[in-house]
Amino acid sequence: MRTERSGPALSRVLDAVDVETYLVCSSAQEGRELARLLGRELNLGDVDVMFEEFDGYGVRVRLRAMVHRPAARYAWLGEVEKEGRG
Amino acid sequence: MKSILCVPLDPVHDVGIKLIRSALAQRGHRTELLSPDLPAEEVVRRAAAEPWDYIMVSRTLGYGVAEILARFVDLLDAAGVRERSKIVIGGKPVTSELAAELGFDRGFGEHSTVDEVVAYVEGREAGAGATAAARTKPDVTAGFTYDVRHPRVAELLSTITERTLAWAQARTTPALRRVRLREAILDAPEAERNRLWQEYHTLCDGPIAEGNRDGSLPQGVRRVREGEARALRALLAERRAVGARGIRHAGAKPLMFKFLGSGCPVMDIVHAKVCERYGLDGFLLINPSWEARYEGLLDGLLTHENDGTITSEQNIRLVRELLDPASLLTVRAHRGLNTPETVLLAARAGADLTKINLVYGSLGAGTDPERLAVDGLEAMRIAARHGMGFDIPGNDELSGVPAWKSLAGQLATAAIGCALGARPILKPLFCYGPHIVLHGLMADNFVDYNLAKVRSLRSLVDAPIWPGEPIAFMTQTEDRVQSANATSYHAALAATAGVEAITVASTDEAYSRGPIALASRIDSIRAVADAYRFMGGAQLQPTAGVDGFTQRITDGIVTTLEEVARHESLPQAILAGALGNAEDGAYPGTFGRGSVTADGR
Repeated sequence: MRTERSGPALSRVLDAVDVETYLVCSSAQEGRELARLLGRELNLGDVDVMFEEFDGYGVRVRLRAMVHRPAARYAWLGEVEKEGRG
Repeated sequence: MKSILCVPLDPVHDVGIKLIRSALAQRGHRTELLSPDLPAEEVVRRAAAEPWDYIMVSRTLGYGVAEILARFVDLLDAAGVRERSKIVIGGKPVTSELAAELGFDRGFGEHSTVDEVVAYVEGREAGAGATAAARTKPDVTAGFTYDVRHPRVAELLSTITERTLAWAQARTTPALRRVRLREAILDAPEAERNRLWQEYHTLCDGPIAEGNRDGSLPQGVRRVREGEARALRALLAERRAVGARGIRHAGAKPLMFKFLGSGCPVMDIVHAKVCERYGLDGFLLINPSWEARYEGLLDGLLTHENDGTITSEQNIRLVRELLDPASLLTVRAHRGLNTPETVLLAARAGADLTKINLVYGSLGAGTDPERLAVDGLEAMRIAARHGMGFDIPGNDELSGVPAWKSLAGQLATAAIGCALGARPILKPLFCYGPHIVLHGLMADNFVDYNLAKVRSLRSLVDAPIWPGEPIAFMTQTEDRVQSANATSYHAALAATAGVEAITVASTDEAYSRGPIALASRIDSIRAVADAYRFMGGAQLQPTAGVDGFTQRITDGIVTTLEEVARHESLPQAILAGALGNAEDGAYPGTFGRGSVTADGR
């Protein structure tokens, strides 16, 4: 059982992982870049910045990494073990 | 009967232990509640003084509290209490694991119910809260007469209905020919189906015929593997909802619906099952936008990697099969060139409702008005024949059409539906639409104008009202908390208005760059449940402005229907802009233009 970002817990993510936090930064642009970098540092790959609000001190952000997109092979479904690959 | 010593070790948060003590006493158990400020040594002395069955400790855990509790358990051990009493801890962050770690026999946390604690004391399985409560399938349209209360509106709707039915009578479309074939295929013996499919494909656009015949499906579409469907069924067979709950705190309505349409029926079903656990009443199956442009429907169990789940018979059937029998299922039919066939497949697959709006389907959703009128009338007949209600979403307001034009279009569609024996549902939009923004109609609040739409409709007709679609449209942002709040406020307004149902978005509503995540669906349901808990039987009070808005909307509906009734039929009125024009931002759709022909039956 492997997904794009495989692992015993990640493979059980139904669809997406969201990360919400506050990043200290000096501009909205820097905040956005840091948010994307955070996704990579957390091994979530390329994340989508779903929400961001820069307030002068930092940015309130919500990031999303898709683990299982619709129509993908869902590792949590356990289909592969029953049928074999392919 | 058991004996229980209740020990509030928390000086402030002792309401939980008091509730539990009261429930235990009501069940005939002997209880004693200690004062909350006793030193541990005194509590141990009291615990050791009698042969209690249970020592039930209540304590909110904070920094350093674990050590205090561990010491307390040690003292009970030393006093020999553990040999004859079970020692239980309850408190907000308590988990079974933490309780065991601290030396307690059992722990109850913030999600535990009083019934679960009582059941534990009595050595039985908890009833409420452990399993899904038995549900019964509601009927959104039950009890409505569809009487038009406004004489002039009744007269106008009658004129519009008669003219439209007469106009459509001698007309046909490829969709009407296909639906007859499809019905024949559904009822034909296996040996005849191939021939009928061949004939069906002569009435389809290339990508549909090729997809069905040769397996070369449109980009991003594939068949669901047998193993996937089998694994899904196995997964659902081995799991059941735990801690199932309802959404409403007071009363039996509004029912609450959500869209399904991730593209994948497998994903849709898992989302739906979890939403059922949170108390959702029904689902609306939404098809991909490209499906609307093609003549003909794909056949088979199909998954699609983009927005919208393909409305094949097999997809609808699988969703219906795996939903709770009490959950309602609506299938969208009015977008595109397959309206009658979609309703037929939905009905045969066991769906409860469908979605047809002759006006919005033409003005906001791209279908040629004449084509949708001919197709839509047949779809209403099919819905009526199968006892399916149909809802009429007012999303044309999002194009910039004023509310009264959208509501007039809904009333015209409903009147035609009633004449054909169907049971329509009106769907005023609870939204912050372009016309509202431009004219400052919600400058003060979002209550008055939305409520005015409902009050106006109620003054005109006795019909079910189901604001959508979803409620709070264009008030939600990508901020998850704001989105959940906006939805919950509008849900509270819907409850105040006493409507039959609402459609509720996820907190991803304003996020358009990817699929909706299940967690976002749960978030908005929980927010609505909280709003209902907050409101109970209380009502939101509109300002005095609501009366003016209601009158203005009603006058606008009458004026619009007057204009529509001047035309040969409803589609001619739509084409002439009577229900929304270029100035409003509404343009008649073009899918299927020129495909209406004289019926040579």
